[in-house]
Amino acid sequence: MKYSAVLVFALVATLAACSGAPAQRPAAQAAKTVTIAISSDEGTLTPFTNESGYPGDNLVKLIFDTLLVQKGESVAPSLATAVETTDNKVFRLPLRTGVTWQDGRPFTAADVVFSVEFYRENLSGDSAIDVRPIRTVKADGDAVTMTLAAPDPEFPLRILSDMAMLPKHLWESVTKVNEAGTDKAIGTGPFRLTAYDKERGYTLTANPGYFGGKPKVDTVKVNVIPQETTQFAALRTGEVSLSVRNVPPQQRASLQSQPNIGIAEGTEFASTMLQFNTTRPPFDRAEVRRALAKAVDVRDLVKTALLGQGTPGNPGFVHPESPVGGPALPPLFDVEAAKRELDALGAKPGPGGVRTLDGKPMSYELLVQSTSTDRLRSAELIRDMLKNVGVEIKVTSLDPDSLDTKVWPDYDVKKGRNYDLTMWGWSAPVMQTSSQIVSLFDSDPEDGNLNIGGFADAGVDKAIDELKATTTPEKRAEAAAALQQKIAEQLPFLTLYYRNGAYAYRKDAYAGWTWQNGLGVLHSGSFVG
Amino acid sequence: MRRILEYGAVVVIALLLNFLLPRALPGGPMKLFGSPEALSRLTEAERAQIAQQYGFGRPLPEQFADYLTGVFTLDLGTSLSDGRPVAEAIGEALPWTLLLVGTSIVITCVLGVALGVLGALRRRRGGGAGLLGTAIVLDSLPAFWLGMLLIVVFGVQLNVLPTYGAGTLAHLVLPVTTLVVTGLGYFFLYTRSSMLTVLTSEPVQHAHARGVPYGRLVRRHALRPALLPVHTIVLMEIGFLAGGSIVIETVFAYPGLGRLTFGAISARDYPLMQGAFLVLTLMVVAMNAIADATYPLLDPRARQ
Repeated sequence: MKYSAVLVFALVATLAACSGAPAQRPAAQAAKTVTIAISSDEGTLTPFTNESGYPGDNLVKLIFDTLLVQKGESVAPSLATAVETTDNKVFRLPLRTGVTWQDGRPFTAADVVFSVEFYRENLSGDSAIDVRPIRTVKADGDAVTMTLAAPDPEFPLRILSDMAMLPKHLWESVTKVNEAGTDKAIGTGPFRLTAYDKERGYTLTANPGYFGGKPKVDTVKVNVIPQETTQFAALRTGEVSLSVRNVPPQQRASLQSQPNIGIAEGTEFASTMLQFNTTRPPFDRAEVRRALAKAVDVRDLVKTALLGQGTPGNPGFVHPESPVGGPALPPLFDVEAAKRELDALGAKPGPGGVRTLDGKPMSYELLVQSTSTDRLRSAELIRDMLKNVGVEIKVTSLDPDSLDTKVWPDYDVKKGRNYDLTMWGWSAPVMQTSSQIVSLFDSDPEDGNLNIGGFADAGVDKAIDELKATTTPEKRAEAAAALQQKIAEQLPFLTLYYRNGAYAYRKDAYAGWTWQNGLGVLHSGSFVG
Repeated sequence: MRRILEYGAVVVIALLLNFLLPRALPGGPMKLFGSPEALSRLTEAERAQIAQQYGFGRPLPEQFADYLTGVFTLDLGTSLSDGRPVAEAIGEALPWTLLLVGTSIVITCVLGVALGVLGALRRRRGGGAGLLGTAIVLDSLPAFWLGMLLIVVFGVQLNVLPTYGAGTLAHLVLPVTTLVVTGLGYFFLYTRSSMLTVLTSEPVQHAHARGVPYGRLVRRHALRPALLPVHTIVLMEIGFLAGGSIVIETVFAYPGLGRLTFGAISARDYPLMQGAFLVLTLMVVAMNAIADATYPLLDPRARQ
């Protein structure tokens, strides 16, 4: 299969290079129909039945609105016209009046109260929101008041701009959320789901009465095309207008050379890291992790594996442009320092140049997901980099489910782990707020639900407690910066890079795509306003 | 009677495997109920409640009993990924696959057999060697690679055929061509080999010695016995291709049973996997049974 993929790529590249350039047509700022290619079915497009965060949640949010929307690093009004708070604990949200659900019923404060309580009762679902921080929610005429268990200055961005509102009159009868049908895909959003075929895709029709204005596109067709190569071929022929696949660095130049194809690009907050199993020696020692991290040149990984289309990782994890903020710490790469630190740890060169530490050869297995080209390439480069300092790495490629079973069995960190090192990545939402970032490091598995390395450090736990106790955005940003500094010292994992987002679209079909950091181009802002 | 019992045993073993294999795969259907990040927030009790509610958390014997009851009452259960009855999902996908596979098999069979006979008759001439070489090359072509090649040439470069989807005759051309081209070599080689065996057999040699004209010798004495094994191969291929078209259906985003099965496996949708595997199993068994039943009709020797 790998051989075939190489042949196909070579073929596509050759034929593309040989072909004559088609005539360039003007870029379209409005369109009757836009066809979007997605890779797999996304269920019935309700907040409980979409299959993936991206693009599933993005499609759901074209149908369902949230109280606020993310705009840049902050939030802007949506179904709520403002956020009123004095202590970041009690939030009063005046609601937009005159808004109707797509079936004509009015949107009211009772729907907001119902939505919060419904999410509280139903935690499963890709777009389901964890509303447990909300202690109470009350309707107050055309406004609602939410009281949190503890102050949280990131509450508007983390929850209010992510929680899709549900129509009470349709959802109060739902008992099995996973079986909610298309008749429940009724929101207040710019598009209405008008057709769904599991194997072929969706038709979304513009909601002419949308409170944000009439969408610039009448119909959005969403077609399921599993193969990346077929998606890009259909884009070249004009059969689709946008592919939701991030353009691989190797194919970018070829696509960009087509006159009618544009590339929308920007920052994405998805991260790739070298994860240590900190419960297994010698990775339970911060000084070993630091020494190994200094042997890895993250700039070279970006240059070689991503062909420059990414940002080198911040040892403190957070992307420099993330709303979390904080100073980006410099890369740690220093081969000589790595060798000196390994020497100081007593790791002496043994047979074959492989060091021996505590009587055991420094030879470890690095797991990597077989479906990710850039991670496979990066793993091979890391193997070579660590060989330079006398550490042997055996790269093992696994299918995603087998990898998850070893690294994060049942997605429950309490169930342990069975690996030395693994290539890993977190999706963009993990980087959106500091409240989510702490779940990567907290030693309490209830709060550290993403701490897949089993990391535990009293200093980091203290920094997390201090961060959680902050009540203002300024104080929280300071605490987040302090936490990043601690992480860069302790290195439960080494953040390698953040791959840039690049999405190919037909300029002659529709060119109104607008980039939102962390969301890409598939969001309501690309169709409205 | 003995043959019926044998087929029954095969079906029972297949049912057991269809039930056990999905559950032996790493991971499970839990990922259908949220992103890993969302699932990681669930407590053990909340996970157990979901597993219980949707059936995959119950004891295995209980699940197996339900599955067997469902099979015999024609209730294949409900898909975990979208709540749709499994029978409905399969019922929608199967006709597309039968259209694709049926068309491909007919064309492949006619072309493969004709060329195979020609290849055997001209085995000592340049044309025969050329056919043999071409067939070996075609037989070794990866379907995935050829599919992508056809998309690039006829979809992107010439822009004369759609690159993906289904619904019109034009949508069928590229996937059918891929299946025909990659399947042709097999039929050709099998027919050629069978024909050569018959042509060198004693009865045919005797007929030749008796002065039977060559054309008649081929038509009356060689062709019929040579095609007997091909008849079996055709029926077997129909059974296998229903599942084997997964790659083609994925490459061309074709909405058939292969893609449905692939999606079910990826999602660990146990009921849908069981249903799809059951249909594939029954197709293979049914085609074998038809081959067994029809062979004696074609070959009087087998009736004894």
